[in-house]
Amino acid sequence: MRTKTVVRIGALVAAASVVAGLTGCSAQSSGSGSSGAASGTYTFWDPYPQYDASSAWGKLVAQCGKDAGVTVKRTGYDTSDLTNKALLAGQQGKSPDVLLVDNPVVSTLAQSGILTDTATSGLQTGDIAENILGAGVIDGKTYGVPIGANTLALYYNPKVLEAAGVDPSSVKDWDSLTAALAKVKAAGKKGITFSGINTEEGSFQFLPWFWGADADLTKLDSAGAEEALQLWKGWIDEGYAPNSVIQNTQTTSWQEFQSGDFAFGENGTWQKDAAKEMGAGVITIPAKDGGAAPVPTGGEFFTIPVQKDDARYATTKKIVECLSSGDDVVTTDNTLNYVAASKDLQQQQLSGNADLKTWVEAVSAARARTGDNLGVQYPVISEQLWTAVQKAESGSASPSDALQSAQQAVDAKLQK
Amino acid sequence: MTTDTTSLRPSAARPRTEDTPASVRGRRAHAQRRAQLTAWAFLAPVALYLVLFYAYPLWKNIELSLKHYTVASFVSGNAPFVGLQNFADVFSSATFAPAIWHTAVFVLVSILVQFALGLALAVFFHNSFPLSGLLRALFLVPWLLPLLVSASTWSWMMNSDSGIVNAFLGSVGIGQINWLTSPDWSLFAVLVANIWIGIPFNLVIMYSGLQGIPGELYEAAALDGANGWQRFWRVTFPLLRPVTAITLLLGFVYTLKVFDIIWIMTKGGPSGSSTTLAIWSYQLGFGSLLPDFSSAATVGNVLIVIALVVGLIYARVQRRLEV
Amino acid sequence: MATTTVTRAVTTRTTRGAGRPATGTPPAAKRWWRTAFGVVFTAVMLFPVYWMVNVSLTRDQDMRKSPPNLIPIDGTLHGYSTVLGQQLPFLGTSLVVGLGTVVLTLALSAPAAYSLAKLGPRGGGAMSFVLLIAQMIPAIIMAMGFYTIYVQLGILDTIWGLVLADSTIAVPFGVLIFTAFMRGIPDELLNAARIDGASTWRTFTSVVMPVSRNSIVTVSLFSFLWAWSDFLFANTLDGGGDAKPITLGIYAYIGNNNQEWNSIMATAVVASIPAAVLLVLAQRYVAAGVTAGAVKD
Repeated sequence: MRTKTVVRIGALVAAASVVAGLTGCSAQSSGSGSSGAASGTYTFWDPYPQYDASSAWGKLVAQCGKDAGVTVKRTGYDTSDLTNKALLAGQQGKSPDVLLVDNPVVSTLAQSGILTDTATSGLQTGDIAENILGAGVIDGKTYGVPIGANTLALYYNPKVLEAAGVDPSSVKDWDSLTAALAKVKAAGKKGITFSGINTEEGSFQFLPWFWGADADLTKLDSAGAEEALQLWKGWIDEGYAPNSVIQNTQTTSWQEFQSGDFAFGENGTWQKDAAKEMGAGVITIPAKDGGAAPVPTGGEFFTIPVQKDDARYATTKKIVECLSSGDDVVTTDNTLNYVAASKDLQQQQLSGNADLKTWVEAVSAARARTGDNLGVQYPVISEQLWTAVQKAESGSASPSDALQSAQQAVDAKLQK
Repeated sequence: MTTDTTSLRPSAARPRTEDTPASVRGRRAHAQRRAQLTAWAFLAPVALYLVLFYAYPLWKNIELSLKHYTVASFVSGNAPFVGLQNFADVFSSATFAPAIWHTAVFVLVSILVQFALGLALAVFFHNSFPLSGLLRALFLVPWLLPLLVSASTWSWMMNSDSGIVNAFLGSVGIGQINWLTSPDWSLFAVLVANIWIGIPFNLVIMYSGLQGIPGELYEAAALDGANGWQRFWRVTFPLLRPVTAITLLLGFVYTLKVFDIIWIMTKGGPSGSSTTLAIWSYQLGFGSLLPDFSSAATVGNVLIVIALVVGLIYARVQRRLEV
Repeated sequence: MATTTVTRAVTTRTTRGAGRPATGTPPAAKRWWRTAFGVVFTAVMLFPVYWMVNVSLTRDQDMRKSPPNLIPIDGTLHGYSTVLGQQLPFLGTSLVVGLGTVVLTLALSAPAAYSLAKLGPRGGGAMSFVLLIAQMIPAIIMAMGFYTIYVQLGILDTIWGLVLADSTIAVPFGVLIFTAFMRGIPDELLNAARIDGASTWRTFTSVVMPVSRNSIVTVSLFSFLWAWSDFLFANTLDGGGDAKPITLGIYAYIGNNNQEWNSIMATAVVASIPAAVLLVLAQRYVAAGVTAGAVKD
């Protein structure tokens, strides 16, 4: 009787495992989705989960796949997850065929060895503006091509400025900007909003001011850097910028600007349509002593991860080229609110939409964050930079102390 | 109080061995082996499950912390063995001591307040009144919200400028408090959110504990002249001790792992003022553009060891109570 | 005396007020005071949930209004129309995953608990301790481990895979609840079955499980809710297929540069309704799970 119990349970466990195994196998085979006609399925990962298969982007990807003779299985992931998913997949030998990632991450992925360079994959990069391509160039090798670029500028609310008696064209350098903010506050409105959070977004938003004071990422504790940080801190202390900037993402900051109480909002190309809707204007971010401050390039790169089967690269290359250099990319960049990556395509965009002029100019003057051969040093530097910015903003340390400890931390980490 | 029923044998009492012939003794030993086999057969699925799904990730984590992995070696798999070097680096890091302190404060305050509130609410709901069932069920709603949503909602409510909490405080004359952006308040803010999320679990367990206390005991106490407060402290609370112990232990283990709430609300900032060990581990592994999996795994292991030590203490104490 | 106490603890209790201090029925007025307090406490506790609903009805440009609107004047139903148009299939997936997790958790934890409580396996104490340790492993470590296993087995992005992963949250806890409860089942019941000739398995299915109804409901509720609100495992093990649980459906509104908060909150509200309904229906059975074995004469 006891034996029967044991046997019965054993049978149950065995049956369960068999069922699980079968379900697993069948689920996998039904997931590959290759039809008889297409010569295979190519996987495509991008950071646009808001676009499903029926969206313009989804359809475009599928079409480019068909043109290359294959079926494309596209997945959208949250951009902050994508790096780790890519690394984990690479470790298991299951990298996707096309990987679209945020540009400062390209150097990390290249260092990990999961990306092919253009020599191996055959991608052409001749047309692309050098400053936009910069993020994908590490040690002389190029690891991807950009889908387009975006960058930052200063949006302003004409109604608020008018009520405060400020002329937007008078904002030419830091002093005039601060003076304008003071006037706005005196008129009972709020000055400026931006994102000073302790993530890459914070660094991204701080860089125009950092570079605008002629500071360099290789030396975080320079006088220029300190002035830039003191500028932000001064605004918070005087009440020109709200305390919430310490925690704002770029989206949150935009929502604050949208509420209509703020005179200025530092934000990116991707908000230009929403800005137009609310009647906001845009000027370039001023450098400390006048002129436009250098701004960082944003936007994603198409990369081709290493595959066991070399023969796949030819088809993958076709898919990427279809998406990054055809006429369709102008439509895509317009949808994403990016600026195209090559001069010709930028002209095409401008002829369709003259409003883009400020942005095209801004992008031409922009710099890649991982450029100047910073490569994988950039993530280390950026982390210390955003930490220092937050320390100063929240009052835990003075700008000079915060930046000094940041530089020390960078030196310590990069020694290893 | 707690009868130990763990060693119940299917074949009841054991008669004296001198009286039993060898064949009977042989059969009995055989039957005992059968009983053990049956017992383990029931346990086998879970045992297998544990090995596959817990032992493997745990082993991988230990391996990550004993070797020095860069992004390149993570993908290729050839990382050098460095022994306890990662642990030494973690212990000597400037973030370590504050992280331990924040973790201690966060966990202890969370579990004590969650428990106290859960118990108080359980006692309150214990006396049935109109709508008590419905209200008690509604109390569990925070539990079924995805953490992303609960944490974001609290984040919005505690925003320095556009949050409803500050708007309310402003209306009663208290100035603006920078809940999430000030190093002084960030830990407090995430504590409040975490306690809110933890109350339903404590409420459910303590309520079912109260259900298990027989009514006659209260009657007897009332007959002896005890008032409500005394009944609680002399009858209810002592009888709830085993439930209390397990609730606090589980609360400890779960709260130690908490990271979603803090990450979404403050990302461990500003300037590390709300960084706990779990947050630090995530920051190292996934919070920067250049993941450092070895250090992240190391901090994760420190976390597990702390939980282990507390678990051992609990087991010790429980054994002593049961004797 | 012992038998009556134990049977009372073990018999199914569907009425609230089991073990209520029998000081006579309080007058109606007193009970309504309690209801009033109860409503106030619940309102305070659920205020953030109300806020969630409020945000889900707010227009984008009012999101950061200072001070914020207490009620959504100038509200918008944009969030809800998007959600109802896109997310309903994901609710179905979440339901399947939740139910699957319940079945798997019960199937694994009930027999194991029975063994630990009544069959005295050698090393059972160690096993209980190991189950406790299992709960100490941070979820992210589990998720990364699962990813590796699943990729090798090829079951990434399957519903079964997610059910398995979600069950790891619930199984150790389930074993704990069941063990505590089953310890309280009087041995006489089990011996009676044995004398009638039932095997251990038969005793388990015909005697133990029916008597454990309350703890079954408790464990089912916990595992369903944990699986329903799980985000981390769903996110890590997601291969991007069409069958996503609702928690991942939220990502449709989290773009790389912009997030639509009213839609995100609307998704959360819509996702909470079925679970909340379940909760209200099941709450009367959630009792006596943890403690029946702990209180004896």
